[in-house]
Amino acid sequence: MKFFKHITLVSMLLFLTSACTDYVNYEAIENYEITADVYFQAPGDYEAAVVGTYDPIQWLYMDVLIGDIASDNSFSGGESATDVIGVQQIDEMTHNPNNDNLTSIYKFLYEGINRANYLEQNKSKLEFDSKAALYGEVYFLRAYYYFELVKFFGDVPLFTETRLTAADSGTLQRSPKSEVYAQIELDLQNAIATLPGSQSQKGRATKFAAQALLGKVYLFQDKFTESADMLENVIGVYSLVNNYEDQFLKAGENGSESVFEVQYTNTSEWWDWGFTPQGTEGNFGVIHNGPRAFDGPTYASGWSFNIPSADLYNSFETGDSRRDASILNFETFATATGASYAPGYKDTGYFNNKYIPRAGESGAQTELNYLTNYRVMRYADVLLMAAEANLRSASPNVAKAQNYLDQVRDRAFGDDLHRVTATNEAIWDERNFELSMEGHRFFDLVRTGQAASKISGFVAGKNEVFPIPQQEVDISGLTQNTGY
Amino acid sequence: MKSFLLSFFLCFVGIFGYSQNYEIKGIVVGTDGAPLPGVSIVVKNSTKGVSTDFDGNFTIANVQKGEILVFSYLGFTTKEIVLNDNIFLNVTLNEDMQSLEEVVIIGYGTQKVSKISGSVSSVSKKSIELLKPVRAEEALQGQAAGVNVISSGSPGSKPVVLIRGIPSYTGTDPLVVIDGVSQTLDDLNSLNPSDIESINVLKDAALSAIYGVKGGNGVIVVKTKSGKRNTKTTFSFDSYYGTQEVTKTIDVLNASQYVSILNEASAATGAGLVFPNIDQGFGTNWQKEVISNADIISHNFTASGGSENTSYFLSTGFLGQEGVVGGGNKSFFDRTNFTGNFNTSLTDKMTFILNTSYANIKNSGLSENNIGSVLSNALNFDPTVSPYDAEGNFGVSNTITQEIKNPLAQINDTYNKGNTNKLSGKLELQYDILKDFKITSRFGYTYTDVYSKNFSPLVFYGVGHNSTNAHADLSPIVTTDGVGVTTSTHNRVSESKTNYFSYTYELYGNYDFKISEDHTFQTVLGLSIGKNQGENVTANGQDIPFNSWEYADVSSATGDAASQTSGSWQYENRNLSYFTRINYDYKGKYLFSFTGRVDGSTSFGKNNKFAFFPSASIGWVVTEEDFFDSKTINFLKIRGSYGSVGNDNISPQFSRITTFPKYTFDGTIISGSALQSIPNDNVTWENQIQYNVGFDLKLLDSKISLTADYFQKTVDDLLFNPTLSLYLGTPVYPASNIGKTKSYGIDLSLGYHDTYGEDFNINTNVSFTTSTNKVEQINNGDKFIWGGGYGIPWTTLTRFEEGFSPGYFYGYKTNGIFQNQGEVNAHATQDGAQPGDIRFVDINGDGKVDAEDRTQIGDPFPKFTVGWNLSLDYKNFDFNVFTYASIGGDIFRAYERNLNYTNRFASTLGRWHGEGTSNTEPRVTFIDSNNNRRASDRYVEDGSFLKIKNIQLGYSLPESFYKKTGLTQVRFYAQVKNAFTFTKYSGYDPEISSGVLDTGIDRGSYPQPRIWSMGINVKF
Repeated sequence: MKFFKHITLVSMLLFLTSACTDYVNYEAIENYEITADVYFQAPGDYEAAVVGTYDPIQWLYMDVLIGDIASDNSFSGGESATDVIGVQQIDEMTHNPNNDNLTSIYKFLYEGINRANYLEQNKSKLEFDSKAALYGEVYFLRAYYYFELVKFFGDVPLFTETRLTAADSGTLQRSPKSEVYAQIELDLQNAIATLPGSQSQKGRATKFAAQALLGKVYLFQDKFTESADMLENVIGVYSLVNNYEDQFLKAGENGSESVFEVQYTNTSEWWDWGFTPQGTEGNFGVIHNGPRAFDGPTYASGWSFNIPSADLYNSFETGDSRRDASILNFETFATATGASYAPGYKDTGYFNNKYIPRAGESGAQTELNYLTNYRVMRYADVLLMAAEANLRSASPNVAKAQNYLDQVRDRAFGDDLHRVTATNEAIWDERNFELSMEGHRFFDLVRTGQAASKISGFVAGKNEVFPIPQQEVDISGLTQNTGY
Repeated sequence: MKSFLLSFFLCFVGIFGYSQNYEIKGIVVGTDGAPLPGVSIVVKNSTKGVSTDFDGNFTIANVQKGEILVFSYLGFTTKEIVLNDNIFLNVTLNEDMQSLEEVVIIGYGTQKVSKISGSVSSVSKKSIELLKPVRAEEALQGQAAGVNVISSGSPGSKPVVLIRGIPSYTGTDPLVVIDGVSQTLDDLNSLNPSDIESINVLKDAALSAIYGVKGGNGVIVVKTKSGKRNTKTTFSFDSYYGTQEVTKTIDVLNASQYVSILNEASAATGAGLVFPNIDQGFGTNWQKEVISNADIISHNFTASGGSENTSYFLSTGFLGQEGVVGGGNKSFFDRTNFTGNFNTSLTDKMTFILNTSYANIKNSGLSENNIGSVLSNALNFDPTVSPYDAEGNFGVSNTITQEIKNPLAQINDTYNKGNTNKLSGKLELQYDILKDFKITSRFGYTYTDVYSKNFSPLVFYGVGHNSTNAHADLSPIVTTDGVGVTTSTHNRVSESKTNYFSYTYELYGNYDFKISEDHTFQTVLGLSIGKNQGENVTANGQDIPFNSWEYADVSSATGDAASQTSGSWQYENRNLSYFTRINYDYKGKYLFSFTGRVDGSTSFGKNNKFAFFPSASIGWVVTEEDFFDSKTINFLKIRGSYGSVGNDNISPQFSRITTFPKYTFDGTIISGSALQSIPNDNVTWENQIQYNVGFDLKLLDSKISLTADYFQKTVDDLLFNPTLSLYLGTPVYPASNIGKTKSYGIDLSLGYHDTYGEDFNINTNVSFTTSTNKVEQINNGDKFIWGGGYGIPWTTLTRFEEGFSPGYFYGYKTNGIFQNQGEVNAHATQDGAQPGDIRFVDINGDGKVDAEDRTQIGDPFPKFTVGWNLSLDYKNFDFNVFTYASIGGDIFRAYERNLNYTNRFASTLGRWHGEGTSNTEPRVTFIDSNNNRRASDRYVEDGSFLKIKNIQLGYSLPESFYKKTGLTQVRFYAQVKNAFTFTKYSGYDPEISSGVLDTGIDRGSYPQPRIWSMGINVKF
């Protein structure tokens, strides 16, 4: 019977410990983790979440490259025909739904939208003074992300209430472009209503940036009257800089002509290639545009993507200060400085001088950390959009259109002797002289119906939009764009 | 103790002292010549008996000629000697192989081999002693059926160990249990293999289910040596010295060949010659520059023995291995061990066991198995460049400006060191409540401190090279931007301290009893509480004085405050488990066993904290049946098992808000936040169902033994990160139980041992292992997950995909070379293809060759592996050969960088350069518009190999020597490891070890060197 006593003892021990099933519960605080349950308790949480909503806008460097590579302005380049294959295909207009670069763009834009929505979802948890203006920025950003999506992909899934969770996977379908545009307009109207005209921190969206963006959104829908009216709010708020080239240098960032810029810095210690571009605070697009194995002053080595075509270089009129500001003619530069580089794939001897690695402008892991801001919208762009909208409006205002166009050309040539008559074609051409290599060309060509005639390999009725990523077709069951 | 024995003897002397017959004396020794104390000697058919003393001596008085003395000793064959006129007997007892292996350690107890109804593979002390492995896992390769070990030649590196296939995606490392304490495969790096007594691999659910959720990948049970009670202290000293060499180099182009091929490649694009001077001689053989012979040395010293109440085993060892690539300064592994195992009886019912092991590991390494590795650089770097220029600086290439660099410069610029201190062991109290009822309370622990330092100096690999961050004189590059702000490049140092601590506390009772004589029960019931934690702090600094490794330390960094960065991480997981097992047999004939374990884990979702893992097995010992009467078959057991085990390789999940997102306002970085992960509260363990059937057979006086098993494992709830809609954005979505895999195979082990005459012993064993793995289902939408890849730009290659073997190679199939434009036109549309380019197969037949045409082009895992061990002993000589073959695995050759100016393989000489010139090697061109280098079967080679892993010849000094010296054994031996490799594979070594889904991708992996060594074992 002694034996059974012992058995009882052991059983008791077992029961005692079975009371400690808490032992296998795990709380986030044990790992010093902040969780959703304890968040949005102070205005600072909201401010941080808004900063987080700006973050994805920095990841969109490839949008900018594609805006020119897909157009007649520039070639893919790179080391070889297989270097970043997605970009090579876009240059050749042979891109298909399995394109990593397009997939990233799509995913990054939706991350921005989800982050904005997460703020929307938590909006009612706390009231504080600056909340309305803060949400103005959120709506501006959401509009920006959706606008990029419709420009790239046409009809896209539309959701605005909450951040989606795993359970929402595969439950949405594409909404018609018109509905997405309606939401973009609504968001921008809300932003305009609450955003201040100026922000104490450079880089934050302002009321005028929202108005300029809304004017652009109208223009992309051929709502010329609304566009002209909206852009009129911005006329005179900004001013063109005297020397065109200056605004693309470090000193010219966030200057008088700048309506909205994506902010980058070289002060990050970022090094992790495995988490590029989400991790870096630098402009990862810049390194792509530089000459390979560069040896010389002023610039630094890069990967020779986004190579301007000789046609673009030669299209500038004599005396147009914008040619040399936009495009580095390496041969001329080499003659002057003795610099050299190693030609890459599709080399033309030209480089994108607006977004090019410049000596000393990066830090830490230098490829990842160029400080060059991306100029999303400049006042010159606003003027040219306003010119076009006024000209194409149901009740055209030719005088205004001519005036805005003249302002842009006068600055470019440094005199008023090079003015041209404001026609649609003249304004469209002017847009490229003014805005080439800034990522706008492809979307302008599509918007104005010129793409098929200007881009070799472009298939009308297909290439106006890029394919929906294959994963979204397979996993989410979205329909594919025509022709892909 | 000694006085006790003395009086014991005196007692006998007293009893038999008045004999009228004569007195006989003698000594009893084992086959190794060591005296055997405590051997029982009785005079047959009488009550007379004595035991041998410490020195193996005995004296029996009052015996008569013709009487028979019976010598018996546990673990040795009983011997009978008829007395003749001799008054001194030299008796040698042979070890009883059967009885020595009779008991194996299974979880929380031991069991007689003959009564086990589960599946287990054992590796004996002797195999380990003969192989002299650097890491203990090596001893499993080819010796334990059912276990696949894929090793690397890199000093101290951890091999891949697969027990019966790859059932899971999230982890394949088996559980390692050292002296009852649960540890990991990583912990084997600090164990001195010569301290190991035995290794048992628990392969099926019947045995591993006692480890429940940790047992899913099999269990390796290691027992370290301990002393024997009532024995004198035995000292042993083992030492060897060896030299390691790389036996193979890869044919690449020499300088002259290189320039002419590059000229042709340039001409193919319409450009001019890139090297006007084509006579460049042989140039530099970079492989010869970086590969050199290297030393390996090992010393072990042990002392073991015991008194009446205590036994002990003390050991210290040192192993130093240098790397054959890059030299011993930059690549080495030094391990120092101290072990003390004590076992003492506190009372006659209570035993206390204290095992303590300390290990120190110092190591340093060079980049390996990636495109930036030293070997990859040696293969790809420009052969026209001299190792050093006229001033004695490292030679640089002006044409290779990315990644690939002078490997000597790379070795010179690599500075790192690691220092690991590890303390592990257990405290165990055993209490015998009743004769067969024992309670064990055990606290096992492992405490590890890992310090590492890494220095990235300012380096120069040529102007414009993307790894260059200094001028040729190694001064930093200072640049001034457009607004006059200057920036500089920096050297950097990083120091990191990581601390790991894990413990398990276990309390269990073993009760063995019989009901009548026929029903034997062995039972165990217990609980286990475990915790695993790790924490790290890392600090970085820049601007080390003099750009020098000697000064490289965060404390000496002179960079500004902003450049002094730091970081930390930590984790913890906990388990709580209850387990039980009942073994039953009827007359040793019918065997039955049931095991169950309940596991709770912090890893699992809130709604699924506990899991139950049951298993059962049955066995039938046919030879015990009365009707079975065969002289040929000595033993036959048929057995089968069924059960479940698990895998909890996931981390706890939360709705985590990350503050990683940042944005820049006013040029200043501002921290933001975003939702980073979303939990799955239902996530649970992977539940594996395993079947096993097998038999054990012994024939012809047990000289031949055969064990064969067939197994099948299925996992229905594989843990996976699902692929979800892209419009959910970038957060980490939770692992879910959404996959299914199946593995099956055969393990077979055939042994033979025999003695011919007095002097010749043979002992040989063949093991045979197959495992076939298949991913049955992945419900992540895509039906696959990408695994490993290679190269720049990164190309993913392996997949874990529904309907396929895990980690198979995925790419294009090739079909020769386009000989002319007509063939290009006739083929499916293949963008950029020209005559001389590779024709890729249009698998889906849609008229164009694109990503959709990729398919299975290889499988890295062997169809089967065979190990063959042969030991021969003749008089004082012993000879051992171990051969291992792995058949049917594929290798993907991935160490070619394929830049225009990087070097190429000698096979390029046979390139296509006009119709009919080649149908295998494409044309050379600087513009590869066809992307000939895409992942295709062109790079897949048969990785089958047969290696003579070990040849050893030993000689022990004759017994006559010992008497004079007091030594009990002196053995000299010569050994060759990795003596010969027979393979068709063109790379250095067909054995390529990295993570499971990286298996078989040769990115410049470290070859296993051939090791020539000489050693000595001394016992006294």
